[in-house]
Amino acid sequence: MSDSTTLAVVKMDGELDIGRRAEIRAALAVDGHPSGVLVDFAAVSYADSSAISELLRFRNDLNRRGLPVALLIQSPQFKRLLEYAGVHEAFAVFDERAAALTYLGNAAS
Amino acid sequence: MKNVAELRLTRVARPSAIKSLRHAFLAFLTANDVSEDCAADIATAVGEALANSAEHAYGDAPSGTVEVYARVERDSLIVEVADAGVFVERPRREDRGFGLRIIKAVARSVSIDCEGGTRVRMVFDPRFVAQPLEAS
Repeated sequence: MSDSTTLAVVKMDGELDIGRRAEIRAALAVDGHPSGVLVDFAAVSYADSSAISELLRFRNDLNRRGLPVALLIQSPQFKRLLEYAGVHEAFAVFDERAAALTYLGNAAS
Repeated sequence: MKNVAELRLTRVARPSAIKSLRHAFLAFLTANDVSEDCAADIATAVGEALANSAEHAYGDAPSGTVEVYARVERDSLIVEVADAGVFVERPRREDRGFGLRIIKAVARSVSIDCEGGTRVRMVFDPRFVAQPLEAS
């Protein structure tokens, strides 16, 4: 649970493929009223379209709630996947945690 | 790219089996001197075809299999992902259906044969550098 002054952080690692779809969905189930959500995928080495689908569902849910979201992604494969799927502009994606936090701070103010 | 042995692997088509298939395929690419980024993208595309079989081919039947077959032909890498299940055309949803788009972004060509199952045939340039598709 988060209050409106707190940032929610979702953190996952490893390979996010179809075998982990349910786990991804559960991890992205952010409740409460945070000021924004940082999805920390810095330790994710691989992702497939299952992760994209779950991220889009998540983004749509946060949009309805008026909450900003930032993705921290460092895997080159994951970044290219977003481009190949044509959804790279649907998310605020950052290489560095500090930049993601700055974005969320500005979005919430 | 060296002219190397073929790869043929068969597993039960379930989501939990896709990771090991993808890793075995990636090892095949690495053993054939495909660069790291290129191999990652090709394995991503093949992983999408495998995931589609695991998710959709057999419905709730647990015993169906999916096969990945790869061979080098001149300067092309030819990969086929085949199952004996049912190919179902699904309506486009905003948050689903990215697999084929990803495959098309990476592969030089893609064809799908739905006779007696589903066979996705992908041809890759092992030196491939993809150009991202425009968002739709």
